[in-house]
Amino acid sequence: MINNQIRKTAFSVLFMLSMLITSAQNISLTGTVRDVEGEPIIGASIVEKENPANGTMTDIDGKFTLQVPQGAIIKISYIGYDSKEMPAKNPMDVVLEENSVMLQEAVVVGIGYGTMRKSDLTGAITSVSAKDFKQGIVTSTEQLLQGKIAGLAVTQSSGDPTTGSALRLRGGTSLSASNSPLIVVDGIPGVDINTVQPSEIISMDVLKDASAAAIYGSRGANGVIIVTTNRATETEVSKMSYSGWVSVGKAAKNIDMLSANQWRDYVRKNEILDAIDYGADTDWIKELEQTAVSHSHNFSMSNSRKYNGYRAAATYQANEGIVKHNYMNRLAGSLSAYQYGFNNHLKVDLGLNYTYDKYRAPDYGFYGIFNYAINQNPTVPVKDEQGRYTRMGGTNMQNPVEYNDNYFSEQTRHRMLAFGKADLEIITGLHAVANLSYEYGSWQNRYYQPSYAAGNSVGGTGRRQLADNSNYQIETYMSYDKTFAKVHKFNAMAGYSYSKYVYEGFGAARSGFDTDSFLFNNLGAGNDYRKDDVYSNKGEARLASFYGRVNYSYDGKYMLTATMRADGSSRFGKNHKWGYFPSAALGWRISEESFMSDTRSWLDNLKLRFGYGVTGNQDGIGEYKSLALLGAGGGGYYDALTDSWKATYSPSQNANPDLKWESTAQYNLGIDFTVINRIRGTVDVYYKKTSDLLWNYPVSQPPYLYSSMLANVGDLVNKGVELTLNATILTAKDFDWSADLTFAYNHQEITSLSNDTFQDLGTPAGQLHGIDGLSNAYTQMVKAGYPTGAFFGPRCSGIDANGEYIIENPDEQVYLGSAQPKFNLGISTTVTWKWFDFSVAGYGMFGQKILNATNMQLFTDTRMPGKNIPDKFAEQGIKPDKITYSDYWLEDGSFFRLQTITLGYTIPGTKKIGIDNLRVYGTVDNVFTLTKYSGVDPEINTSGLDNPGIDLCNVYPKTRSFIFGLNVSF
Amino acid sequence: MMGALMTLSACTDLDERIYDKVPMDQYGSTDSEIQTITAAIYASLRGLSDNTTGIASYPTCEFVFFLDEAVSDEACIPARGDNWYDNGVYFEAQRHDWDPSNKLFESYWKYCYNGITSCNSVIYQIEKSGQSAEDMVKISAEPRGLRAYYYWLLLNTFGDVPVVTDFEQTELPAKSDRKEVYAFIESEINEVMPYLSENKTYGRFTQDVANTLLARLYINSETYIGEVKWQACLDACDKVKNYSLEPNYKTNFTDATQPGSNEIIFAIPYDHKQGTAGNYLNSMSVNAQQWKAFSVTQYGGNWSANGICAQPGVYSSFEESDVRRECLLIGEQRSKADGSIIMTTEGNQLIYTEEVTSIDNRKDLKGSECQGARLFKYEFRDDEEWERDYDWVLMRYAEILMMKAECYARLGTPDAGLEMVNQIRRRAGLKDLTAVTMEDLDTEWLHEFIFEGQRRTVNIRFGTYFGEWWEKPVSRYDANKASRFFPIPANILTLNPNLVQNSDY
Repeated sequence: MINNQIRKTAFSVLFMLSMLITSAQNISLTGTVRDVEGEPIIGASIVEKENPANGTMTDIDGKFTLQVPQGAIIKISYIGYDSKEMPAKNPMDVVLEENSVMLQEAVVVGIGYGTMRKSDLTGAITSVSAKDFKQGIVTSTEQLLQGKIAGLAVTQSSGDPTTGSALRLRGGTSLSASNSPLIVVDGIPGVDINTVQPSEIISMDVLKDASAAAIYGSRGANGVIIVTTNRATETEVSKMSYSGWVSVGKAAKNIDMLSANQWRDYVRKNEILDAIDYGADTDWIKELEQTAVSHSHNFSMSNSRKYNGYRAAATYQANEGIVKHNYMNRLAGSLSAYQYGFNNHLKVDLGLNYTYDKYRAPDYGFYGIFNYAINQNPTVPVKDEQGRYTRMGGTNMQNPVEYNDNYFSEQTRHRMLAFGKADLEIITGLHAVANLSYEYGSWQNRYYQPSYAAGNSVGGTGRRQLADNSNYQIETYMSYDKTFAKVHKFNAMAGYSYSKYVYEGFGAARSGFDTDSFLFNNLGAGNDYRKDDVYSNKGEARLASFYGRVNYSYDGKYMLTATMRADGSSRFGKNHKWGYFPSAALGWRISEESFMSDTRSWLDNLKLRFGYGVTGNQDGIGEYKSLALLGAGGGGYYDALTDSWKATYSPSQNANPDLKWESTAQYNLGIDFTVINRIRGTVDVYYKKTSDLLWNYPVSQPPYLYSSMLANVGDLVNKGVELTLNATILTAKDFDWSADLTFAYNHQEITSLSNDTFQDLGTPAGQLHGIDGLSNAYTQMVKAGYPTGAFFGPRCSGIDANGEYIIENPDEQVYLGSAQPKFNLGISTTVTWKWFDFSVAGYGMFGQKILNATNMQLFTDTRMPGKNIPDKFAEQGIKPDKITYSDYWLEDGSFFRLQTITLGYTIPGTKKIGIDNLRVYGTVDNVFTLTKYSGVDPEINTSGLDNPGIDLCNVYPKTRSFIFGLNVSF
Repeated sequence: MMGALMTLSACTDLDERIYDKVPMDQYGSTDSEIQTITAAIYASLRGLSDNTTGIASYPTCEFVFFLDEAVSDEACIPARGDNWYDNGVYFEAQRHDWDPSNKLFESYWKYCYNGITSCNSVIYQIEKSGQSAEDMVKISAEPRGLRAYYYWLLLNTFGDVPVVTDFEQTELPAKSDRKEVYAFIESEINEVMPYLSENKTYGRFTQDVANTLLARLYINSETYIGEVKWQACLDACDKVKNYSLEPNYKTNFTDATQPGSNEIIFAIPYDHKQGTAGNYLNSMSVNAQQWKAFSVTQYGGNWSANGICAQPGVYSSFEESDVRRECLLIGEQRSKADGSIIMTTEGNQLIYTEEVTSIDNRKDLKGSECQGARLFKYEFRDDEEWERDYDWVLMRYAEILMMKAECYARLGTPDAGLEMVNQIRRRAGLKDLTAVTMEDLDTEWLHEFIFEGQRRTVNIRFGTYFGEWWEKPVSRYDANKASRFFPIPANILTLNPNLVQNSDY
C-alpha cells in the first residue's frame, strides 16, 4: 500500500518534469500499458531509447503521454516484467509479460515497520508465499514453514496433534530463554502465530540476520517472522472460496514387541520357568492406537475496491491423533475491513482474529503410556473377567489402556487478536502510522481422575484451571520516502511503542468424591481438600521502545540500511533498565555495474550484502526475577498452640539487580544471484555471538540461600552457511517444472559459562528419569566448549560373551556427540501439466546424535519375564544383562523425510457455470523416512536442555495420512 | 510532533507491579506478618528438592536420612537388579570408601545450609522490620536456636565448615575450625536460652530442645574437638523438664500429630494435605506390591520402591519379646483381601528375608527382590498417599535417658544409669539388666533408636564405626578414622574456592 503511494508520487513528479523538456516538432504519443491479464500497469517507465532523458511513467490507469520525435524507438519497462522496445505510433497500446525471475526481485518484503522491494534489501531476509507452504495437515501454523527456509529448523517432535513444533533460526542463541523467533503479524509483534488461520497467510518473511532483526531490539535475537495475512487490498476483488479436506491416518511406525505367541515361544525356548502366562493375546500398543480420521473446512469471502473493502474467513478443523481419545478441534475466524478517507490520505484498517481450540492430549501430555505399553506382558488381558482393568503393579507397569482412558483432561484455548491501524499521508511520501492492538489468550483445563484410576487412594480427583493473558500494544511511527535526482532514494522511519502484558490464573481442585458422576463439574462435592488445591496468581511486564531506520540506495546499485532501537523493560534489573540495539548493512548490486555488461547475457542479478547488528533476548528473565521477594509458597507450618496449619513466607529466589537482556552480535555476508533467467540463489554466511548469557549459575551455599542464581555471564557462538536455490527447470506450453532447495549448516558452541563471580564448569543435563536404576543418571552436560545437547559418558566397544558391555572406564565422561543437527535440508518440486499439478516436498536433518534410551532399556536380559522385550532382542545372540549408559546406544539420528506428495487436478470449463476455479487433490503426508535410526522416529526434540536428542520411551509415533481435498472459488 | 513526543515519553513507565508476592524490604511490620516469616524456619526442617541440581535433601528419606543410615551398621541400600544402583553411591556409603562427588554428601550439606540461610534471612527480616531491640532479641531467639541445630548437624558430619550468619553476605566464606564451630553452637544456644519457651511446645525450638541439643554436643565432644564432656552432658540432660517416657513405645510413631506427647521433645510435623513434601520413607522401603497387605479398598495402592532395608543380623539381634523388633518387617506378606501370599511382578512370593546376598545384586533382581527386613517403624495407614503423614521424630525423652546412662558409665558409675536403661527395656517388654556394660548400651542404642538416623553418631562414639561389618571392610578412611567426618562435597568446593577439602581426603 505504501508502495503504491510511492509509485504514484514519483510518477507525478516525473510526469511534470518530462512535460517541460519536450520540444515542439515532436508528435504527442499516447497509450496504455497493461499486463497479459489486461490489468493496467501503474508506474511503468516509457523512455525514448536514443534520448533516455526523455521519459515518463504510466498513471493509475496505465495511461501515458509523451512528446517524441517522429520514428523514435520507445522502451517500455517495468520491474518484474520483460522490457519491450517498439517504434512510436499512436495509439500505443503495450502488453508487458511477466518475467518470473525478475518478478521475484520486485516482491515486496516485510521488514518491520514498513516494506521494501527484495531488490533493495541489505539484510538476510527470506520470504515464503502461500503457494510454497507445507501441504497436507497443518495443526499448528508454524508447520507451514517446515523445510522451506534455509536456517529455520521446524521440528515436529511428536505425532500428537495437540502439540506444535519447535522453531530454531540459525541455532539457539540462549540456554534459558526462549529460542523461538519473534512473530509479527501485520505489524503487531509478539503475537501467537496460531491466532492466524493458515489459510489467511499470504506470505511469511523471515528476518534472519541482526541487521534485519535489530529493529525489534531486545526481542530480535532469534530472528523475526513477519506474517502478512490476507487482508483486503486495493485490488478489485469480489469472491468466495471454500477449501476442505478429509484425511485418514495410521501410525507410521511402532516398536515391535513380542506378541503373546512369540512371548510363549521365547519363554519355552529359554526355559524361563517363572514366567506366568495369563492366557490372553494383547498387543498393548495396538490397544492404544486408532485410525485417525480428520477433516478441515475453510470458507472465505472478500470484496474490495480501490478505497474500501472487507474480508472474512472461517475455519473448522477436527484432528484426531493415532492414540485413542487424542484430538484437537479448532474453530477460527477472522474479519478485516479497510476504508480510505480524508481525500484518500487516510487509510484505516480494523480487524479481529479469533481461534477456539478444544483438545485432549494422551496421558495428560506425558506419554508415559508408551513406556507402560512396551513393558506389559502380552499374555495379560486389558481387562479381567469382571471388566476391571488388570493391574500388574510396579514402576512403569501401569495399565496403559486404563491410563489413557481414565486420565481425563480436556483443555480449551481461546485466542483473540483485535487491531486497528491508521495510516495518514501528511505530505507526499510522509506517513504517520498508528497500530493499536489487543491480544487475549485464555486456557482452561478440565481434569478428572476417577476413583478407580491407578494410584488414586482418595476417591476421584477433579480440577479446573484457568489462565489468561492480555497484551495491550501501541506502535506508532512516521516514515518518509523521497527520491532525489532520480537516483538517490531515501527512506527514513522513526517510532515509539509501548506494550503491557498481563497474565493471571487460578485453579481449584478437590478429591475424595463419593461418586464419579460429577467429573470436574461439581468440585464442591469432593470431601478431601489440600493446601495447594486452590491458587491464583498474577503478573505483568511492560516494554517501552524507541526505534528508527534509514535506508538509502543509489541508482539501484548501492544500498545502505542503518537502524537503532532502545528497549526499556520492566523485567530488567534496576541497574540496567534500558538496552540499545544498533545495526548497519550495505548492499551492492554488482550486476548493475557497467563493467558487468559482458556477463549480462547469463548473469541476470548479482548482489553482495554485508550487515552487522546487535539484537537482544529478554525472554529468559521472566517477571520479577531481579528482585528480592517473599512468596507465600511451599508447605505450611504446624502451630501447636492452635493445633492448626499456617502459611509460611520465604524468599523466592536469590535476588540479582544486575539482570539484563542477552545480547547477540551478528555478522552476515550474503550473495544473491540469478543466472540464465532460471535459477535464483542466495548464499549467506553468518557468525553470531551471544553474550551476557542468562543462565541459572550454580552458586555456593553458603552464603546463598538457593543453589543457583539467574545471571548474565557466558557466551555462545553460532556460525553457519545457508543456501537457497529456486530453479525454473522447464517452461513450455502447458508444462512447467520448478524446484526449490534449502540447505543450512550451523555450528553451535557455548564458548564460556564463567566470569570472575560465577562459574559453571558443567551442569549435568539429559536425565534418564523413569529408567530403572538410572533415574538419577545424567547423559549430557551444559558445558563451555560444547554445543547444547552435548552427550557425555563412557565409551563402549561392544558386548562380550557374558552379556557385559565392554567399557574400559565406566566413570569416564568423554564427549560423545551432540543432539544438534549439523545441517538441515529442504527440497520441493512442482510440475504442472495442463490441468494437473504435482508436487513433492521433503526435508531432513543430518549429523545429530540420538540416545536411544528406549532400546537401552529394552535390550536387557533381566526384563523377562516381568517386562516384555522387542522382537529384535529375542533374535539377538548375545544379550546385555543390565541397563548401562554409554555411547553404545548413541545412534546417528540423520534422516530425510519425504513429507508430502500431492497430485491435483483443476477441472476445466467451470467458469461457464460461475465457478472461477475448482480443484481436487490428493496428498500423502509423511510418505516415508530414510534413516539409520532404529527407534520409532528420528525427528525428536533437539531443543531445550531437558532431554534434547533423548528417545526415552515417550515418543508419540508420527502419523502417515492420506488426504483428499477440494478447493473451489466463485 | 513535539506534543506527541511529550505524551509518549510519559509512556515509558517500567515499574514492576507485584501482585502475588511481596518485596522483602516491605514486609514484616505486623505480628501476623512476622509470624509467617519465622514459621518459614520450621518449614525448612522438612528439607528441599533442588530443581537445579536434581538433588533431594529430605531428613526423612533421600538423601539426608539415607546417608546417615547407609554408613551405619543398622541399614543398607543394596542394588536389586538395576534398581537402586544409582552409580554406586550407596555402595560407597556401605563400604566407607567414598568420593567427595558422592551426591549424598551434597544433599546433606545443602539441607543444612538451606536451613541456616533460611534462619539468617528471617533474622535479617526481623532486623529490617523495625522491632524494638528487646523484641528483636526475643523474636530472633528461635531462628538462632534452630540455626545452631543445623550447625550441629554440620559439625556432626563435616566437622570444619564455614559459619555464616549474615543474610546479606555475598562473599564466599572460608571454613572455620571445628573448635570454632563447636564454640559458636554452644554460645548461641546459651545466649538464646532465656528467650525460648520453658513449656512444651510441639514442633518448636524450646528450652528442652536447646538442652537436648547441648547434651548431644557434649556427649560427642570427643569426636568433635577431642575433649570429653560427660558431666556437661549430664547437666544439660537434667535441664530437660517437661518430658517422660510414653507407656507404649509405638505411640511415638503413629500417624497422628501429637502436640500432647509426653516423650517427643522435637519433631517435624507432616501432613501432605498441607503441602509438606518429602516424607516418603515407608514408600522407599517396601515392595511395590506391599500395599495389598494393608488395604483392600485401595485398588491400585501406593507407589513403593523396594529399597532401603536392615543390614543382615540386625533383626536377629533383637530378642523375640522386644516390641521394637516390630520396627522391622520380615516374612510372608499376605493379601488383606484374600489372605494369599502376595506375588511380586518378578513372580516371587513376597517373603522378606533377613539375609541379603550382597550390596551389589545388579545381576540378580529376582533373587534379591525380597531380601532384607524392611523399615516398618512408622505406622502404615491403609488410605494414605505415597507421601506420608506421620511426624518425623527428631528428639525424644528416651534419648535423654540413654545419654545419661551412657555418661554415668563413661564416668565410671554405670550403676547410676542402670534404672534408666531398665526403664527403656521394660517398656520394650524386656527383662531388667542387673548391671550395664558399654556393650549393653550399644545394643540398647541400636534397638531403641532403630532407623531414627542416630546410629552413625553412636557407631562413631563407640568406635565400631571404624571396624568391619556386613559388606564393609576397614576402608582406607576407616583406618585413620578419617571416615568420622565426610569430605566437603566436590561441587561445593568448585563453587567456593575459599574452601579447602578436609585434610584426610
